[in-house]
Amino acid sequence: MTEVQLLQTIGLSVLGLGGAILLFVKARFVRVVAFVSIVLGGFTLVALSIPQMASLPPAVEKFDVTSIQDKKELASIGQKIFFGKAQCALCHTIGTGEGRCPDLKGVGAKLTRGFLYESLTQPQAYIYKDYEHVGQPKFFPAKMPYINKKPIALSNNEILAVIAFLQNMSGEEVTIELSEIEAPGPASTARKGEL
Amino acid sequence: MEPYERHWRSGGRQARLWAYAALVLLLFTVAAPLGLAWAQEAPAGSATEYRDILPGILGSRNLIWIIAQQHLLLAGFVLGVPIFAWVCEIVGVRTRDPRYDTLAKEFTKLLTSAYATTALFGGILLFLLLGLYPKLMVYLTDVFFPSFIVYSVLFLLETATLYLYWYGWDSMQGAKKGLHLFLGFLLNVFAFFIMIVPNSWATFQASPVVITEGSMWAKAWAATWNPTWWPVNVHRLIANVVLGGFICGAYAGLKYLMTQNQAERVHYDWMGYVGNFIGVFGMLPLPFAGYWLMREIYQYNQQMGITLMGGFLSWLFILQAILIGILFLGANYYFWLGIMYRIPGSEAKYRKPIMTMLVILLVCLGVWMTPHSLVASLEEARKMGGTHHPLLGVFGVMSAKMTVVNVMILVTFMSFVMYWRAGKQETATWAKAAKIGQGVILGVATIVVVVLGVWGYFVPAITRINYFSTTQVLVVLFVLLTITPLTALVLKSAKTTTEMVWGIMPPRAAYALVLNAVMVILLMTLMGYARSSSRVHWHVYGVMQDTSPYAYSPALGYAAAFMSLNTFLFCLMVAFIFWVASLGGEKKEGTSGKAHVKEAVKPAVAGAPVPAAGRR
Amino acid sequence: MRGSSLAMKGAVLLVAVFVVFKFVAPLVTAPLPMSLIWLYLFLTTVGIVVYGTLSSESTEALLGPIFRFLGGDGLNGVAKFARLAVLVLVPLLVGGQTYSELVPSSQPPAENRTIHPAPPGEFVGLTNPVPNTPENVMMGKGLFAAFCSPCHGPKFNGNGPASDGFNPPPANFVDPGTIAQLQESYLFWRIKKGGVGLNVEGHPWKSAMPRWEVELPDDWIWKIIMAEYAGSGQKPGTWE
Repeated sequence: MTEVQLLQTIGLSVLGLGGAILLFVKARFVRVVAFVSIVLGGFTLVALSIPQMASLPPAVEKFDVTSIQDKKELASIGQKIFFGKAQCALCHTIGTGEGRCPDLKGVGAKLTRGFLYESLTQPQAYIYKDYEHVGQPKFFPAKMPYINKKPIALSNNEILAVIAFLQNMSGEEVTIELSEIEAPGPASTARKGEL
Repeated sequence: MEPYERHWRSGGRQARLWAYAALVLLLFTVAAPLGLAWAQEAPAGSATEYRDILPGILGSRNLIWIIAQQHLLLAGFVLGVPIFAWVCEIVGVRTRDPRYDTLAKEFTKLLTSAYATTALFGGILLFLLLGLYPKLMVYLTDVFFPSFIVYSVLFLLETATLYLYWYGWDSMQGAKKGLHLFLGFLLNVFAFFIMIVPNSWATFQASPVVITEGSMWAKAWAATWNPTWWPVNVHRLIANVVLGGFICGAYAGLKYLMTQNQAERVHYDWMGYVGNFIGVFGMLPLPFAGYWLMREIYQYNQQMGITLMGGFLSWLFILQAILIGILFLGANYYFWLGIMYRIPGSEAKYRKPIMTMLVILLVCLGVWMTPHSLVASLEEARKMGGTHHPLLGVFGVMSAKMTVVNVMILVTFMSFVMYWRAGKQETATWAKAAKIGQGVILGVATIVVVVLGVWGYFVPAITRINYFSTTQVLVVLFVLLTITPLTALVLKSAKTTTEMVWGIMPPRAAYALVLNAVMVILLMTLMGYARSSSRVHWHVYGVMQDTSPYAYSPALGYAAAFMSLNTFLFCLMVAFIFWVASLGGEKKEGTSGKAHVKEAVKPAVAGAPVPAAGRR
Repeated sequence: MRGSSLAMKGAVLLVAVFVVFKFVAPLVTAPLPMSLIWLYLFLTTVGIVVYGTLSSESTEALLGPIFRFLGGDGLNGVAKFARLAVLVLVPLLVGGQTYSELVPSSQPPAENRTIHPAPPGEFVGLTNPVPNTPENVMMGKGLFAAFCSPCHGPKFNGNGPASDGFNPPPANFVDPGTIAQLQESYLFWRIKKGGVGLNVEGHPWKSAMPRWEVELPDDWIWKIIMAEYAGSGQKPGTWE
């Protein structure tokens, strides 16, 4: 017997029992309980009559630096990080506007790679004039957090992947070299000054 | 005071002892398997992320599901009841009708016993969460610790106020009534804050905002002020009133069925009417609050919005439509039965309009329940060219649903107005003009709602959502807010032609009240599941992933079985609480039998077990 | 007299509703699935019961004849036989229904496929990076003709030469219920990941859409999307 059939059997038994009580039992409280059971049993049976579908979590994806083949792949990993672990999309939109924070459409073309890196790791160091907030205070005020520190704490490789994604989605050539990525560990060669 | 104390010493304390003994026993039965789970610790070294309980039989997620749902339903009741107990008290003071004060007190008594149980379940829930979901709890504590403190302080205040409000009821009659009303106000203020603080935790899980560095308090505040916080606060506040009202109605219905005493029947008939009235009035603005919440969710994250409305959970909203539909029908049915039975000789006059309303309601329901993606066999789907029906598919989209919901609200409101005016003859000179004006308002409103609904198909979604749906809502609110005072004004000078007769409603009216309560509870469990599973496999959406074996969202049928179980457990628990609370009063009734006879003319008071003391 | 007529009227109404939805509706439009007809019958029944039980007289008029019939008091002749038949048939019907539910069959189970399920997060916030110029649209149309039109049709109406082979049929972009409801990012996801990329509620096993990311670069896909909107005369939807 499948789970659905088991639950259906239980639901039908509750209906039957409730019906029998309503027919033969006089005690008022018991009758009301039976009535409630019938209603609940009926509801469950209706829900069970719909094709059943559970929502499974997606397979866990690991960011494996050694397996990256080309820059495109790096960018697509960056895309996953942008919309996932890095939580960028909590605030930023790409072209749809009306986000809580600056829209990032074309940002990879507008800003240099070094500036992007600085914006992620030293977010308050230089705030672009366009993004200066004027007028009414925002409804959900937020300051750009340090992406390389807790709680988000992207690794250097992940930050580079995000930059690759930003450049790629702006129609730019990705300037992150795969050789930079493959340098493992936190002592990466990619430093702000060198970019 | 004195009579009351005697009562507390005799029956009340014993009853309470029994109640607590039973609850402690319950705690043990929950704690036992918990020990079992703790016995199998995770290997030392790494921090434990999850623990499980009786996997395969119960599972940690299911246990949390049950306990959290019970806690939430009890909390809804405990927060909803003071609102209308307080309103009833005010009405009692204003109208000098002692029935309302008695009713308010009767419910505050239930409140005191339910309050302890709510806190108890809150405690169990907290322990279980700490034990079963340490990873999540560490994260949430990190973010929200200051609001935990605020919450505890609020709880102290609420408890103190509740005790003062309840135990001071009798001593604060007369000159001090104003103070008592103020206490009631405070009680509701604290209750509201007690509700919105945990709401911030739950809504943060669904719609987190980015947390930057800053003081502990700044972090907690930033997380509290998240996009769905206020929509949920408003939605839950209204829903709690609805829950309180309908449970009050169901309680009255049950008592009505079980008593043989005619005076009590009169009282409980009236109480059922009040409960149903409060429930319906809360229910009318509820869809608007829900709509606002949904809108915020879409704006926050489209993906979550689609998961809810068009994806995995879309069928859930058909179930919701069925439940709300039955609730609307049940509430209207009760009004109509009230007209038919309480106002003798009204059948001939009202059958036709009732039939019209019924047909409109059913047609609206038919539209609302028609899903966008239909359940069809392969052959049927082939004939339709997919799972969308070419003609009925138009009923499946938001434009149609919003329209019929608005029309249903209008019909229910008219049902109530009809009941209100039944058996009365307007005497004001301008009554006729007022009547015509109301008719015009209603007619125009209905036309506007329907026209906007149809037009909505031909404009971009954003226009429809931002302008059309909002206009529909405003039009309906306008109708509610103009016709209510207008009717009240007209009826002020009206003379009653047929006196309402209480206490002769048929049993099915009481069953309708019970049905309404069950529907509301079931709806809360259903939407709780929707809220929780719209996060899919995230503890905190987009931030902290659920990596436990229970990260999946169960299918609707399995979930519905749990919802039914939760509803049943909650109903039984509420019945138990009511029963315990009534134990104290029973002895009293025996001794004050004479008072009954004397009071039979003023039936309301006779039905209430305790308040003899309050009425010296 | 009025008594029997209310119960009778109810029964007639139920039958009429059934006939209209089952047999009359298909004359005008596609036949309704049984699940929907059951729903409407249920609503009608609720309506009859609510209306019938409004007062004690009408309750008697509605339920009296039914109870009397089932109770069997004072029945004779055909009515007596009919009552026996009902008492035998109802359990048989329930048994038969249970049997047909449980017996293994070659029929696929009824389905409710969600046609437009929620896209994965990384596709929600994207916009078309390719500028909407006549040249780009032109190139998109060319790409569409090469890769998409065999199924989705040269006229964008889902009526390509290969379309007959598929169930469900390829999407018809001219229909306002398809791409006009969706955003460009949504189309980008569907084209890039294809049928296999659908989530479970979209029934990935039902779609024959290829996974175009293995063959087409991203900017081609964006151009095709522009061409689909231009060619079908639709505009991208805003969020619903």
